[in-house]
Amino acid sequence: MSEKEQAFIQIRKISKHFGDVIAVNKVDLDIKKGELFSILGASGSGKTTLLRMMAGLEMPTEGKIFIDGIDMTNVPPYKRPVNIMFQNYALFPHMTVFDNIAYGLKKEGQTKDLIEEKVKRMLSLVKLEGYDGRKPNQLSGGQSQRVALARSLIKEPKVLLLDEPLAALDKKLRQSTQFELMDIQDELGVTFVIVTHDQEEAMTLSDRIAVMEEGEFVQIGTPNSIYEHPNSKFVADFIGNINMFDAKVLGTNVQELTLDCKALGGEIKIQNPDQTIHSSEFSVALRPEKVIIEKQQPSDEDHYYVKGVVEDFGYFGNLSIFRVRTTSGDIIQVSKQNRMRIEDSITWEDEVYLSWVRESLILLDN
Amino acid sequence: MSGLLINVDNSFRERLWKNLIIAIPYFWLLLFFLAPFLIVLKISLADPIIAQPPFTPLFQDSVDGSISIYTTFDNYLFLFQDSLYLVTYLSSVKLAFISTVLALLIGYPIAYGIARSPQPTRNILLLLVVIPFWISFLLRVYAWMGILKTKGLLNGLLLWTGIIDQPLELLYTDTAVYIGMIYSYLPFMILPLYANLEKLDIRLLEAASDLGAKRWEVFKDVTLPLSIPGIIAGCCLMFIPAIGEYVIPTLLGGADTLMIGRVLFDEFFLNRDWPVASAVAIVLVLLLVLPIVYFQKRQNQELLSES
Repeated sequence: MSEKEQAFIQIRKISKHFGDVIAVNKVDLDIKKGELFSILGASGSGKTTLLRMMAGLEMPTEGKIFIDGIDMTNVPPYKRPVNIMFQNYALFPHMTVFDNIAYGLKKEGQTKDLIEEKVKRMLSLVKLEGYDGRKPNQLSGGQSQRVALARSLIKEPKVLLLDEPLAALDKKLRQSTQFELMDIQDELGVTFVIVTHDQEEAMTLSDRIAVMEEGEFVQIGTPNSIYEHPNSKFVADFIGNINMFDAKVLGTNVQELTLDCKALGGEIKIQNPDQTIHSSEFSVALRPEKVIIEKQQPSDEDHYYVKGVVEDFGYFGNLSIFRVRTTSGDIIQVSKQNRMRIEDSITWEDEVYLSWVRESLILLDN
Repeated sequence: MSGLLINVDNSFRERLWKNLIIAIPYFWLLLFFLAPFLIVLKISLADPIIAQPPFTPLFQDSVDGSISIYTTFDNYLFLFQDSLYLVTYLSSVKLAFISTVLALLIGYPIAYGIARSPQPTRNILLLLVVIPFWISFLLRVYAWMGILKTKGLLNGLLLWTGIIDQPLELLYTDTAVYIGMIYSYLPFMILPLYANLEKLDIRLLEAASDLGAKRWEVFKDVTLPLSIPGIIAGCCLMFIPAIGEYVIPTLLGGADTLMIGRVLFDEFFLNRDWPVASAVAIVLVLLLVLPIVYFQKRQNQELLSES
């Protein structure tokens, strides 16, 4: 590996035990310079512990952390080129916005003029000009979030760690802030490592995502690869909605796998499966938006289809979600974009045909 | 229509309850604080006489049958003419102040340690802080006499270990009073400090550390300023009773330990000069009201800035 290609953050076999509990279990991770990397997991998955170890707030039980090629494993937090933005922000309540943001520079012993200039620039970056005299309790949730961001960026860290950065904001604000975060990251070129339990947040923000469960990574990849090519039932289920059905292997040849899946109409063939074949029991998964729902019988030969009856129906404006009971008795969830204002609407108790292209099927090892 | 009437009735009843509940502490203070205070104030404005009770009544029957009110400020003037009282007030303030500062220096690390210890240990440590209250205050002060006297436990220990070769003169000195005061009032310092430090958000300390603050800087920049309400509460809870303390200076202090509580006692029981004793008490109350008002103001500011 050449000097340039070497990962910016290298985590090697890192573990953290709290008594008998193993929060993080021998994790390896490489994060590139300037990357926007998310660690996604449910609460208790060990993601925050991992982040805290990168910040130096938690000492690993074993393993090493390198940042920019330097061993940081035993370096105290105040000497690391890393800053963290805490969940709920942890702004100093007794200091003004200015003093909060300036804190890191003051500890560096910078001159007053330089501090003032840099804080001003930060305030304009996070669009909070004129708020410098306020106290944290006079700020809204969104403003507090921006102050916290400015405070953690002012020392120009090599890596910014963000612990659930958007969790405390309401939905509308979350969306706009997401894009602002991406803009700021783009502008400063800082490596962002985000910890979140919100899969939507991770999908939109990140260059790459690591899905974490019980202290280990289950899958690491781009949002697209994790969504479209999940490597396990856990990841498929955790990211987005999905239909999953049991299937039995009928036969394999070099490039094709034949399965029997009762819920999806019997015999199905999967070309070039992502997974190598270990067992005869599989799950076949299908994302709701990959299913076409219509009242007429589909004619295209490339499509598989099953027949069913609409049992439940939800209208969300931009899309509608159907739960269809197939003739085999299984439930398939379907989402449909409402492209036309006036449509031949499908509703409760309608007989429908569900179809999909072969490539939409995801094969998951049991 | 009838529904509306019931509503009105309910809200009226609710208001009545609310007022009743609020009235209870007011009534309590009126009965046990304001009324006695006014009685003492009345006595402080009377002349001492040899009678039962030993002071002139406020309302006096004149020869012509009408009732006149008799008051005098002689007792207050007397307090300012005789330098003993002023010196004693100042000495009381000094003793209480130094004890409070020392108790703060001792109590803060203890409170901090308790607040930072794991939950089960924390409860045991808090219990240990409170346990002395199970024994009478008077007995505990007597116990200190046993420890501090010339042939007491402390001198015995120090002589035995060879640290000193002459017993220290401790009992009946100001030092003994300081020891007694700090010992007796330390829990009142520790508990409010603990209550404050226990609430402190650890993430604030982590944030400071993450932004480049070393351990002592984290303490100076974050922990200490955020614990000021606890410091004020603890200091008030200690300073106010300490300034009027009677038992400790009487039992542990020397003849030259001047504290206002002793002067008050002497005026009242030895000189039987109730009016002067009352005047001493009134001035003491005024002296104490100042820090309380300051404390209240701080607290209100705190509440305002939090809302």
